[in-house]
Amino acid sequence: MESTREIYWNIGHGVVAPMYLFALVAFGLFARGFWQRFPVYRQGKPLSRLDRLPERLLLMIRGMLTQSKVVRVVDPGSLHALFFWGFGLLFIGTLLVMAQADFTDLFFHYRFLTGGFYKLFSLVLDMAGLVALLMLGGLLVRRFLVKPEGLETIRDDYVVHGLLFAILLTGFVVEGLRMAATEIGVNPSLARFSPVGGMFGQLFVGMSSDDLSLTHKFLWWLHFFLVMSFIAAIPYTKLRHIFTTSANYLFIDLGPKGALATINLEDESAEQFGAAHISDLTWKDLFDADACTACKRCQDRCPAWATDKPLSPMKVVQQIGEVARATPKANLCETVTQDVLWSCTTCRACQEICPANIEHVNKILEMRRNLTLMEGAFPGDEVRTAINNLEVNANPFGLAYAGRGDWTDGLDVTIMEQDSAVDILYFVGCYASFDKRNREVARNFIRICAAAGIKVGILGKEEKCCGEPARKLGNEYLYQMHAAENIETIKGYNVKRIVTTCPHCFNTLARDYRDLGLDVGVEHYSTFVANLLTEQTLKLRPEPFEFTYHDSCYIGRYRDIMDEPRNVLRQAGGRITEMEKSRYESFCCSAGGGRILAEEKLGSRINIARAHMARETGAPLLVSNCPFCLTMFEDGIKTGGCEGELVVRDLAEIVAERITT
Amino acid sequence: MKILVCIKQVPDLESRFKPNTAGTWYDEADLAFRMNEYDEYAVEQAVQLREQVGDTAELAVLSIGPDRVVEAIKKALAMGCDNAVHVQDLQAATRDPWQIAGIIAAFARDKGFDLIFTGMQSQDRGSAQVGVTVAELLGLACATTLVGFSFDNGTITAKRELEGGVKGVVKLSTPALVTCQLGLNIPRYPTLPNIMKAKKKEITVIPVAEILKEEALATTEKFYPPAKKGGGMVLEGDMGDLVDKVIGILKEKTAVLR
Repeated sequence: MESTREIYWNIGHGVVAPMYLFALVAFGLFARGFWQRFPVYRQGKPLSRLDRLPERLLLMIRGMLTQSKVVRVVDPGSLHALFFWGFGLLFIGTLLVMAQADFTDLFFHYRFLTGGFYKLFSLVLDMAGLVALLMLGGLLVRRFLVKPEGLETIRDDYVVHGLLFAILLTGFVVEGLRMAATEIGVNPSLARFSPVGGMFGQLFVGMSSDDLSLTHKFLWWLHFFLVMSFIAAIPYTKLRHIFTTSANYLFIDLGPKGALATINLEDESAEQFGAAHISDLTWKDLFDADACTACKRCQDRCPAWATDKPLSPMKVVQQIGEVARATPKANLCETVTQDVLWSCTTCRACQEICPANIEHVNKILEMRRNLTLMEGAFPGDEVRTAINNLEVNANPFGLAYAGRGDWTDGLDVTIMEQDSAVDILYFVGCYASFDKRNREVARNFIRICAAAGIKVGILGKEEKCCGEPARKLGNEYLYQMHAAENIETIKGYNVKRIVTTCPHCFNTLARDYRDLGLDVGVEHYSTFVANLLTEQTLKLRPEPFEFTYHDSCYIGRYRDIMDEPRNVLRQAGGRITEMEKSRYESFCCSAGGGRILAEEKLGSRINIARAHMARETGAPLLVSNCPFCLTMFEDGIKTGGCEGELVVRDLAEIVAERITT
Repeated sequence: MKILVCIKQVPDLESRFKPNTAGTWYDEADLAFRMNEYDEYAVEQAVQLREQVGDTAELAVLSIGPDRVVEAIKKALAMGCDNAVHVQDLQAATRDPWQIAGIIAAFARDKGFDLIFTGMQSQDRGSAQVGVTVAELLGLACATTLVGFSFDNGTITAKRELEGGVKGVVKLSTPALVTCQLGLNIPRYPTLPNIMKAKKKEITVIPVAEILKEEALATTEKFYPPAKKGGGMVLEGDMGDLVDKVIGILKEKTAVLR
């Protein structure tokens, strides 16, 4: 017997015209739904996100098809991915049916859904339907029965789950009804290729042919209308993410991670700095709200949220969307609230995990810019003092700027003002220059360089704060003031290579200063030391030790430097026990985003939470490579009751102790 | 209403002070300068009054000193002063309060200021004489060490900080001069649009020779740090090492263990 099936069996070809008419209505509603959202996006400022189009298209197609960002969280990501592939295959199958019945067969009497190909087609679709149904079942259980903490269910979720479930179920029932009449017992060799449909068919064997025909007709139409409802519902429900999230893969930020628009302070016509209203954000910021599926992965990883602070990156993104749609004149900072905005440590955990390429951090920073530059607001009086100190002495402590190089006493460090013929310029940063604990890091870094025969220069009292904390608090003016002075000084010495021990200085000099004219190679000492070891310019005498390692946000997530510091520590004799939250999932120390200058008054302490995570590994030593992290952990270990169980040390200290002379 | 606020640029107190070569004042090398803290309260209060009165008010800021004081003037302009006067004087740091007050009085005499704000004192010289002397020279009502200020229809209600934590309230009518103390207000942080606008505000430069007619009544003879007394010693490290160090010090510097 022939291996094929009659398309429109029991329905008849007369259905084609009304069917396409209804489809037209559905697609009309679909188009209208999206069309209505365009004016919302157009309220935002222009931004070019269609340059390098081939690269973007490739990223989009790859991202959609592989579901790689979705499956990074295995549960429920893999369920979503399998559902997507299953449903996608069903969609392709339906297109093939359409192509044959309403096109190739109609016009050219050509049928390709026959023979072996039909069998394959039949089996693949049957399996795809089963997988989609099972995955949907799993997702239903997660959504409505064993709800994970923080998952918010809205009307859309009922609509989406209900529709998809009904579509899959009616699909199998319609298939079963047809198979009961045309395959089961008639063409068993073909029925084998639709095992799931066949199972449904068994339910109808023995039904009178009139009843079967009527039921089939009714359910066929029901299935059809469900599918049309699905298409029409896409722009009006969370289903829109099929298109908006995919589009966000196209609109990905291809620039360096963490780049923030450098404000042109020379522009005298500018009247607004930062984002006070929707119109001060870009269209992409508003589009992001539509690409959000409320999967809460960002919220799950937010150190502020985890310590009972009011910030949820997901909610910030959604609030922006609500304002853009409902109250476009509303003040964004008042809607989101200052407490939320100041709580962000800019750790980027939200953005890193987001399966929809949403850019959370810069939205918060743009709103902070408005608070700082337009309203002169601060997260607290201690920050006001620190900013004043930065303005006067170019360090947040308010210590005499002339004492910036005092930490070098007794060490062989060249002051650039006296001799600028050096191998590297060490940009020391405020903490390593002035903070007692971090001065040890600077001194050990110098010892390492000395052992490797590297002549190190510092700017001494000519060095200013790199400007990062001020910038992340929204104070672009102060940042650019210090940046301009640093750049002029550095350029004046014709520096070829800069090394920092602070990840914040590193990111700022390497990436942000580029916008202001500094074009010198900048490295963080963790890669610098790793290279010295590789080149064997530096040799270590390994001594065994157990440790756990904290990935600083601005080295790890922002710079993808994760293996180098671990390798250095391993070469020093260390045996690592990783924390559960490490590498891209690392949990911030609390000090990023300018929070180093602020007291943590809301919720519980982030640094204590992280110190406890380190203690849980059982390792007696926590190694970090950031002055802010070191400072926060010294405090977190004391105030978190980990003294005696855990100590924190810097990578430079571990390495310097093991130098062979 | 015409308002004047007088400000001084002073070295940051965290700076390292060294006597200058003449030994009569501090050497300016390696010093970071900022607006005198008390003058920041004065500027803030003057700006608040300027905002309260509205467009009929005009607020001028005055500072005496070398070109570096323009930084402090710009900050005051960014905070909300309308225009500025820079009395250019390279010797400002060594002038006595009588001369400084004389300069201000000479400038303000025929300008018809209704109210003059100054800081209670400067953070470097700390004489606390300039404000009151200006009031005396111009025949103005005067209240010092303000920690509260309100203005209504020509009458100032001023809360003053007196000795021993006691506060007093005085009322005075304009024209008047008040000196401002810590606790009066929290000086605003200039917004970026105001910083930009401040760049276009007028700064009138007056060479000091044009308005200084007074001789100094007091001269600064000597500037030196207090003699070092034996400081404390802080030991840190492991307990074992600390014990050894303490024993060593006791042996070396005292007769306790002999």
